[in-house]
Amino acid sequence: MIDAMSTARSDRIRHVVVVGGGSAGWLSAALLAADHRAADADGLRVTLIESPDTPPIGVGEGTWPSMRDTLRRIGVSETGLVRECDAAFKQGSRFDGWVNGAPGDTYHHPFVLPQGYGDADLVSAWLQQHAEVPYADLVCYQPHLCAHGRAPKQAATPEFAAVANYAYHFDAGKFGVFLRQHAVEQLGVRHVSDEVLSITTHDNGDIAALQTRAHGALAGDLFIDCTGLAALLIGQHCGVRLVSQREVLFNDAALALQVPYAEADATIASQTLATAQPSGWTWDIGLPTRRGVGHVYSSAHTSADEVEARLREHIAASGGPRDLPSARRLRFDPGYRERFWHGNCVAIGLSSGFIEPLEASALALAELSATMLSDEMPATRGAMDIVARRFNDSFTYRWSRVIDFLKLHYVLSRRADTGTSTYWADHRRPETVPERLRELLTLWRHRAPYRQDLFRVEEVFPSASYQYVLYGMGFRPEPGAGTRRSEPAAVADGYFRETATLTRRMLAALPSNRELITHIRQHGLQRI
Amino acid sequence: MTQAAVLNNVAHRDLRIVTTRGAAWGDDVMSSVVFPSEFRDLQAHCPIVFQKTAEGTGFQPIALLGLQEGQNLFLGPRGWDAHVLPLAIERQPFMIGRDGDERMVHVDLAHPRVVRDPQSSVGEPVFLPHGGHTEFLERITSLLAAIDDGVQATPPFVQALLQHELLESFVLDVELVDGSARRLAGLYTINEERLAALDGAALDALHRAGHLQPVFMALASMSNLRDLIDRMNQRLATGA
Repeated sequence: MIDAMSTARSDRIRHVVVVGGGSAGWLSAALLAADHRAADADGLRVTLIESPDTPPIGVGEGTWPSMRDTLRRIGVSETGLVRECDAAFKQGSRFDGWVNGAPGDTYHHPFVLPQGYGDADLVSAWLQQHAEVPYADLVCYQPHLCAHGRAPKQAATPEFAAVANYAYHFDAGKFGVFLRQHAVEQLGVRHVSDEVLSITTHDNGDIAALQTRAHGALAGDLFIDCTGLAALLIGQHCGVRLVSQREVLFNDAALALQVPYAEADATIASQTLATAQPSGWTWDIGLPTRRGVGHVYSSAHTSADEVEARLREHIAASGGPRDLPSARRLRFDPGYRERFWHGNCVAIGLSSGFIEPLEASALALAELSATMLSDEMPATRGAMDIVARRFNDSFTYRWSRVIDFLKLHYVLSRRADTGTSTYWADHRRPETVPERLRELLTLWRHRAPYRQDLFRVEEVFPSASYQYVLYGMGFRPEPGAGTRRSEPAAVADGYFRETATLTRRMLAALPSNRELITHIRQHGLQRI
Repeated sequence: MTQAAVLNNVAHRDLRIVTTRGAAWGDDVMSSVVFPSEFRDLQAHCPIVFQKTAEGTGFQPIALLGLQEGQNLFLGPRGWDAHVLPLAIERQPFMIGRDGDERMVHVDLAHPRVVRDPQSSVGEPVFLPHGGHTEFLERITSLLAAIDDGVQATPPFVQALLQHELLESFVLDVELVDGSARRLAGLYTINEERLAALDGAALDALHRAGHLQPVFMALASMSNLRDLIDRMNQRLATGA
């Protein structure tokens, strides 16, 4: 028999408190407020508290395509994003120097699926007839759009709609501010600017309230930890440990710089650039007004000074200035929480974990967390434990898939180490490779990755992404026919021709990134 | 290439213009730009829809005359099969040019409607023997004035539609009698649900600005899509 008597504490979840006001905090607050009618008297109450003295981390400038739907759901305009967050369009990532560091060592991981994926045996036809052509270039038009600096849509394309699937690059600091304005002014989020001094708890261990410096006790039913690497709630208060991934992915530090362009109308890159380095790699993100460049590295393999010198060399070689101010230094423990949701506290953003941004997973996981939380928001405290278990299961799985996928970039590399660092050889040691990835690589020696290799409904990386990286990194299945009946070459050929035709048409019809961004800043995008 | 010249009764004293409607004189167009003031007359005959401007910054009302490029289903052996023409078509080969504040009538001397042979008696004369305006020219002048007014009136009209979210995109998929299919995309029409949901204040604002009637006329015109399809089917059936 269910005991329906009320207790001193109401069972209904009526008030959510988000702690921390960076990208994760404002994404979570805005999404919850939009979906659960925070502006209505009978909607969910959403409060965000952030310390005026703690700035956001200042990096995190690449998203996945899912961000378009999330922003549409929140109700902001894409025109606003471009104008206020210095946003540009991202069409995937390009990896330079990861295979062997020789000239011409470059491959794309685009957002668009191979033409005819799932309908034809593209990989066999590629290997038999076009083996000298990079896989992504043969099956997808997007690498060609990127090579020519084309935008993924036209001036007349409605906001959030794509001609070629795309995501965003934007200024890390401005994104939170942009969402904050909309959340507070349009969505009914209550913004408290104050310090959290301590945390009071209920008898069962749940967080009851945050004791603030100037606003007294801030009580709530559900608390979202968006305090970043500090992890004030999930880490410091709840004591949930970080499961280290240092044995798999060594990088635990980064240096970041903002690099001006030589001219105001410089080409804006169509994709994130990740360049392999002796003990790590550099990212290069092209915004309209400047580039965001950084060097991720392993402190066990090299020093910050060596890395800073390398980073400045790299920037100069790419046409940037030599006289930049000192780089921002960041340290992190690569890993993710043992549990993301503990009691009535859920971690979203860097508090939930961090791993090197090789595939821009940080903002994506924050976005996916906020989305799942909003979609499954428990109505009662009784339901919360069930939702928490589902959330933990989902994100533990997703994090481990991210680890697998990032490791794929390293385990297939044939880079030689230079100097005293053994970084690249260490990455190939079998004990650093997750078992699931090892098993898949064994299977892929005899067949291509396919949809059923990843079996959940919403995988972080689809099987096509594994194909792009696998074959981009130079992996080849073992030669010789298997027992499988092969389909006529004409089927795959038709798709290769389709890719070529689409490429030609799109190159002719799409503006450059600079042209499109300039147009949007001046005229905006239509909503329809 | 156009060859626009300011119309004057000296250089163009003997100018004559073919007024018959037909493909030979450039009427084989799938659509025509139209203006809110003529929606009322056109809505009985052709669908009035909206298309994005090339720069993607706004929308332009157009009348659909055919289902594929270069096809005008209103052109038949007896000329134009309706008693109204879009202003932008009827005014050919004339146009307005602005000279400072003045609106000057121009003629495109390269247009097929311009009668080349000065001895010919084909078509309509533009000027009277002593240089005065013919009734034909008077009509042209008033058409051009209406177009000029229409060009000014369209942006606020479109702005009002966007402000009240009255436009929605649609795709027309047609199956014809010969089994072939046509698809028209990139077009927009009045969102009837949003229109029906407008409150009193919004309706009042639209009415006072003169936008309400053209909105309903555009909506009513959509029943002519069926008619366009029938015209196309008839052409296919008779092999015309």
